[in-house]
Amino acid sequence: MQISILILMVIFFNFFTANIESDKGVTLSPSLTGFASVDISDNSGIFSNQINKDVLKINNLSYNESINRLNQGKITAALIVPENFTKNIDQFKSSNVDLFVNLEDPKQIVATNEINSTVKSISAAISNQWINSLVPQNKTVETTVKEEKTGESLPLKLINKMMIAVLLFLPLFLFGNIIVDSIVGEKERKTGEILVAMPVSHVAIIIGKNMAVVLTMAIQVGIWLIILLIAGFDINNPILVYLVVILTAFPIVGITSVISAYSKNYKEAGIGLSFIYIVIVGFLIVPALAYVSRQSISSNISPMTLVMRIFSGETLTTTEWIIPLASIALISIITFWLTIELFKRDYIMFGPRPGIIRTTLDLIGIKRI
Amino acid sequence: MINISSLTKSFGKIQALDNLNLEIEKGELLGLIGPNGAGKTTAIRIICGILKPDHGDVVVGGYSVLKDPIRVKSMIGYLPEEPNLYERFKARDLLKYFGELYGVPGERLDERVNELLELVGMEKRAEHRINTFSKGLRQRIGIARALIHDPEIIIFDEPTMGLDPATSISIRSFIEGLKGEKTIILCTHYMDEADALCDRVAILSGGKIRDMGTPDYLKEKIHGQKILQIKIKFPDVEIEKISSFNSVENVNLKGNELLVSLNSKDEISDIINLVGHNLVSVNTKEPTLEDVFIHTVKD
Repeated sequence: MQISILILMVIFFNFFTANIESDKGVTLSPSLTGFASVDISDNSGIFSNQINKDVLKINNLSYNESINRLNQGKITAALIVPENFTKNIDQFKSSNVDLFVNLEDPKQIVATNEINSTVKSISAAISNQWINSLVPQNKTVETTVKEEKTGESLPLKLINKMMIAVLLFLPLFLFGNIIVDSIVGEKERKTGEILVAMPVSHVAIIIGKNMAVVLTMAIQVGIWLIILLIAGFDINNPILVYLVVILTAFPIVGITSVISAYSKNYKEAGIGLSFIYIVIVGFLIVPALAYVSRQSISSNISPMTLVMRIFSGETLTTTEWIIPLASIALISIITFWLTIELFKRDYIMFGPRPGIIRTTLDLIGIKRI
Repeated sequence: MINISSLTKSFGKIQALDNLNLEIEKGELLGLIGPNGAGKTTAIRIICGILKPDHGDVVVGGYSVLKDPIRVKSMIGYLPEEPNLYERFKARDLLKYFGELYGVPGERLDERVNELLELVGMEKRAEHRINTFSKGLRQRIGIARALIHDPEIIIFDEPTMGLDPATSISIRSFIEGLKGEKTIILCTHYMDEADALCDRVAILSGGKIRDMGTPDYLKEKIHGQKILQIKIKFPDVEIEKISSFNSVENVNLKGNELLVSLNSKDEISDIINLVGHNLVSVNTKEPTLEDVFIHTVKD
C-alpha cells in the first residue's frame, strides 16, 4: 500500500511538473518562458523590442498572416501596429495599436496583460519625449524606454490563481478525521450498536453525520474566502465560487465515508484515506494546471478549474458548467449510496467483514453474503 | 408481546441461530441462558432491529422488525453487555441527548432525566463526565439510557457481568422492580440471577432453544429425582449393591462423598442401612438451575 502511494505521488508530481514547465526549462520552478505565442506586425520594431520575451514568444509577421494564424488557433494574440506609426509620432499625432486575442485560449489573459503593460510603458515614454522636446532643457533627453511595472509578474499571477484555488479547496481535506471518527469510531467504541438500536434509519444516520461535516467545511471555507477577500486577492463572483467549493465537499465527504464505513478500524481508514486523497487532489489539481498551461476541454472536469475560471471573471458556456457539476453530483450520489448500503450490512458493523470483491458482489446483488 | 418465528442467522460459516421460535407474553420476564456462542446476543440484536435475520421474523407488539423496524425500535429499551456510552458527555447531558434522539418531548425530558437519575441512584453524579465513572456507575447510566423513552420492552444483555456483588444486587433489585410493569428479556450467564428473577427461562445452545419453562419446572424436569449426598468414613462401600436398588438411577463416589441419584424416596432408608457404620451424615440436595443448564447443554 505504502509503495503504491509513493509511486502515485511520483506519477502525480511528474504530471504536475510536465504541465507547468515550459518545453525549454528543466527546473521545477514555474518559469513559464515563452508561455504564450503572439504574432506582431510592427514595421517600427518598437513594440517587438520592448515586449517581455521571457514570457511571450514573439513572431514578426504581416497583418494577414497574423490574423490567419490567430483564426486557426495557432497563437494566443496578434498585435497590429500601423505602418505609419513612427511617422505619426514624429508629427505629434496619436496612433492606434490593435490587439486581437483568441478568447478561447486561457493564456489570452496573460498575453493581454503583458502587451498592455508594454503599450503603457511605450506610451508614457513617447509622451515624455514630446513634452521634453517642447520645453528647452539643459540635459539630454533620455531616449530609452522606461519600464513601467503596473502589475504583478506573470509567474506570480499564475501562482496566485493556483494558490487561491488550492486555499479554497484545502479545508475540504482537513475534516476527514471527523468523518472517520464518526463512522469507524462508532465501531471501535461499540457505540454504533446503541446508535443502530435507536428508532432512526440508516439513511438518517449517515446523512446526519455527513451533513454535520459538510456544514463544518462550509463554515471553514467561508472564513477562508472572507480572509482572502480582505487580504486583497482578486476574486470575482465570490458567492458562486463559494457554492462550487461547497458542492465539491459532497463527493469528498462521500468518498471518505465509504472508506470509513468499510474500514475495521482507524488505522485501516487512515491508510485508505491517504491513498484516496492523493487521487482526489490529483483529480482536482491536474486538470486545473492543464487548463492554465494549455487549452483543454477535458480540464473542465475538475471543480477546481471551474472555480479558477469563475474567480478569474471568465464567461462559461453551459457545457463548461455541466461537466464539473455533473461529475460532482454523480460521485456524491454513488458514494452516499455506497456508504448507506455498507452501513446497513451486518458484517460491516459486527463482522466478519468479507473482502472487497465479495462485498462489491453483495452490493450489486450478484452474490448475497 | 414478542413473537419470534423461524429465526435463522449465520455469520460467514458460523450458524448463530437455527430456526429459533419463541413467544414472550406482555409483562413477562424471560431469561435467556446458554453457553458462550449459543446465539443469545444474536437473538436479542435481531429483536432490537440491530441485525437482520437470514430467515424468519420477529413481531413486536404487532409490528414486524423487518417491515417496520423504526416502530419496533421505539418500543424497545436495550442495554448491551458493555454500556458503550459516549465518554465525554456528562451523565445528565447523555440522557438528554438520547432522550432527544428517541423523541421524548422537551418539557417531559428534563423531568424524565431527573426521575431516572434518582431511580438508578446517580442524581449526585449527574454533572460528572462518563469517563470518570466506574463500570458499575456506567451500567447504571446505561440502564437509565435504555429507559429514557419509557419503553414497553426492555432487553438486558448480561447486565451484571463483571460487577461487584453489591452493585449486582442493586441492579438485580432494580430489574425486579420493573417486573410485571415491563416486558423484559434478560440474557445472563448467572444461573442464580435467572433463577431469582425470571418467570420463564429459555436455554439456548447451538442457536436453538433446548428447553424452556419456569425455573421450578426445569429443575423438576431434569431431576424429578433427588440427589442423596452421603458422607462416609472410608471409601469402601458396595456401589454395585446400591446401584441395584430400583429407585437408584446413578451412583457416584467422590472421595469420602457418595452421590446417589434417586427417582423416588422409597428406598432411602434401605440405602442408609447398607452403608451401615461407615455413615457420617446424609443430606438431600435440591437441583439448581445450573444443574439444569449443564444437563441440558451436555445433552
